[in-house]
Amino acid sequence: MGSYADDSKWADIVPIPQDDGGPNALATIAYPDAYSEATSYLRAIMAKNEFSDRVLELTADIIDMNPAHYTVWLYRAKTLLQLNKDLREELDWVNPIALAHQKNYQIWHHRQLLTDKRNAYDGEREFIGEMLDEDSKNYHVWSYRQWLVRRFDLWDDKEIPFVEEMLKRDIRNNSAWNHRWFTVFGRYRPLTDIKHTEQSKQAASFAPLSQTGRTIESYPDSLIDREVAFAQEAIKLAPQNQSPWNYLSGVLREAGRPLATVKPFVEQFANLDEPEKVRSSHALDFLASIYAGEQPTSGPSSADESQKDVKKACQALDLLAEKYDPIRRFYWGWRKDIITKEARATGTA
Amino acid sequence: MASSTPPTSAPSDRPVLRRDKHVKYWLRCLKTFLPSAYTSMDTNRMTLAFFIVSALDLLSALDSSVSADERSDYIRWIYKCQHPSGGFRGFSGTNLGAATTEENRHWDTASVAATYSALATLIILGDDLKQVRRKETLAWLKRMQRDDGSFGEVMTEGGRIEGGRDSRFCQFAAAIRWVLKGTKSVEDLGVQDINVDATVKYILSSETYDGGISEGPFFEAHAGLTFCSLGALSSLGRLNKLSPAPNASSASQELRAPSSPETLSRWLASRQTQTVEEPDEENTYGDETDSPATCHDRHAFISLPPANLQAIIDPYSKDAHGECNTSTDGTQQRPESLRWAGFNGRANKIADTCYSFWVLGSLGILDGLHVIDREAARNHLLEKTQHLIGGFGKITGDPPDLIHSYLGLAALGVVNTATAAPRDTQPHIYELYEPHVRLLDPTLCISLRAKDHLTSHVWTSW
Repeated sequence: MGSYADDSKWADIVPIPQDDGGPNALATIAYPDAYSEATSYLRAIMAKNEFSDRVLELTADIIDMNPAHYTVWLYRAKTLLQLNKDLREELDWVNPIALAHQKNYQIWHHRQLLTDKRNAYDGEREFIGEMLDEDSKNYHVWSYRQWLVRRFDLWDDKEIPFVEEMLKRDIRNNSAWNHRWFTVFGRYRPLTDIKHTEQSKQAASFAPLSQTGRTIESYPDSLIDREVAFAQEAIKLAPQNQSPWNYLSGVLREAGRPLATVKPFVEQFANLDEPEKVRSSHALDFLASIYAGEQPTSGPSSADESQKDVKKACQALDLLAEKYDPIRRFYWGWRKDIITKEARATGTA
Repeated sequence: MASSTPPTSAPSDRPVLRRDKHVKYWLRCLKTFLPSAYTSMDTNRMTLAFFIVSALDLLSALDSSVSADERSDYIRWIYKCQHPSGGFRGFSGTNLGAATTEENRHWDTASVAATYSALATLIILGDDLKQVRRKETLAWLKRMQRDDGSFGEVMTEGGRIEGGRDSRFCQFAAAIRWVLKGTKSVEDLGVQDINVDATVKYILSSETYDGGISEGPFFEAHAGLTFCSLGALSSLGRLNKLSPAPNASSASQELRAPSSPETLSRWLASRQTQTVEEPDEENTYGDETDSPATCHDRHAFISLPPANLQAIIDPYSKDAHGECNTSTDGTQQRPESLRWAGFNGRANKIADTCYSFWVLGSLGILDGLHVIDREAARNHLLEKTQHLIGGFGKITGDPPDLIHSYLGLAALGVVNTATAAPRDTQPHIYELYEPHVRLLDPTLCISLRAKDHLTSHVWTSW
């Protein structure tokens, strides 16, 4: 006998058993008896659209056994709203479940819905901190943090110090680097109706995008200088860390500055005159891009041709393929092939 | 161009896919209850069904192990999950049966992910899709699209779209549309089409500063979401492939993505890694100076013998483009340090079986598999995550699970397809990259055999 069948509180409910439609159903699961019973009561409850305190208990029980059951979460959310429950209390109830199920999508959907309804974010950044203590790269958590910043307009407040604290803990945390990018550049791309994203079909719309997916913005020089310097300091700390190198080239491209503007810096880590002393494969890659005369942006500004040197670009790519990053030797070889073919076609080689 | 004949017999130390064990693993999944630990996957049963049936197809074991009666029972179960208003449910658990009314029917929803899984599984099982509510499903798909071009997972009360805002559902939706429209356009069927441009714009807005694709504007690049984005573009006919494949549309004004397949291929190639353990025990809080011991991508500093490296590391190859002086005598072995390399899903993360597929599948869609080391990828799967009892685990030592076991096979299948293509530019090392796995279409994630059933039989009967 199951716990619901024995409980007088549920005596009025006739459970609806699961109908799996005859023999040889696919992907049948050996459900625990308690799950089969609870979901049979859920079907009966959904059939009569009941929203009550006992429904909160039932949904909590099912969530405990299957936190990825999206219908249960949606039913619970509706019940909470119908009963005018304290949503902060609900968030406190959700917290340990989120901590126990790091990869779960539905919990974050639920959380976003509740926080949006509450129109308040107290406790949220603290809980995000707790989650990141468990897994500092949890994709759902970082996504939720971005939503929170946009929803409550938190651009100036604590985001940059927060990112810097996360990077102090682990300079290779690419999620934190991405969050820095979002914090610095995201505010220039408002999502016009982000405040209602989960409430209606109306969705985020963006500043018009060019064919390439990017608009060329004009940012204050001081901002770009600051970000370049930040990436460079991180590179000095750990030269073989791909995150700040990607950040550095991303910032330069976003600002329309040629990659060659940081050539002296890059050469501290990879200089073709001293091929034995390369300290970073990413620096070599960067150098190859500079020598290949890569466009600083895919937009209208012209490439910086002054540093273009196909031979040196190939030399850097050879070093990568043969010595400093042989795992990617096919990639480096392919890139070299493209560069040499281009050069032959334009007669620059 | 080097002209030596590629060797067709593998060296004795080339690892083997233990086909019989994998077949056994999948037959157990097909014919007995999945362990109760899968209760948390209850709402995704249709996708688990797809993994099981498709895996047996990839292993060429479906026909020999499934009776005609079983096959028709499976098909009947899938159709039992079809929703009256279009699409398929992910499982039977929200079907209220006789208790269904106008007031409660919104709790029983079709799911975009399950709908693709259901269609794909029907196709693999050889069904004719005649019982699919084609028009209703396409009309429902239109309703599942948000104004920003993305798709939700389910629709609830009052037509509200629920579920993540990311490219997973874009891919499923695009594939459903491709399968169901067949050789016609959606409008030809009397149904309003989805806004294709909006979906392409959504994907363009998800491109990241480091060259990958994320779940939406300003999120972190992620190989799984990159794969989904490319799959969507491919199904929508809006994909920019890697050169030198000509982009047929260069003259047309159609919006396409990714904006730079070259940049994206760099990001994808950067995912190949030998880091397979969490770096915690050697992390260097407070002392971040790189050394081979502390740096996450320390494989980049593998020390190699100085000689002719191209020859050493690619003993079986002619050069990818025939432009280097590469030894092809095949006598030298790949050094142990380059024997295997898996894939991570994001920068500075560890290798994981599923990312082998997300990355190889992405490159397969882009026509870019020549930019990575396929033998090292294969060795990683077969030597590091293939399990003794069959299937693949997530990382070395993990027990197999359905997702990783399927994606491990699919990863081998997608490289098979690339190496079998006559225009393949990376050396044909052996007759087939993985002889025990069928060729796989990365966009649909089913075997080419199953795809052929759809295009040559199902579509022609519509």
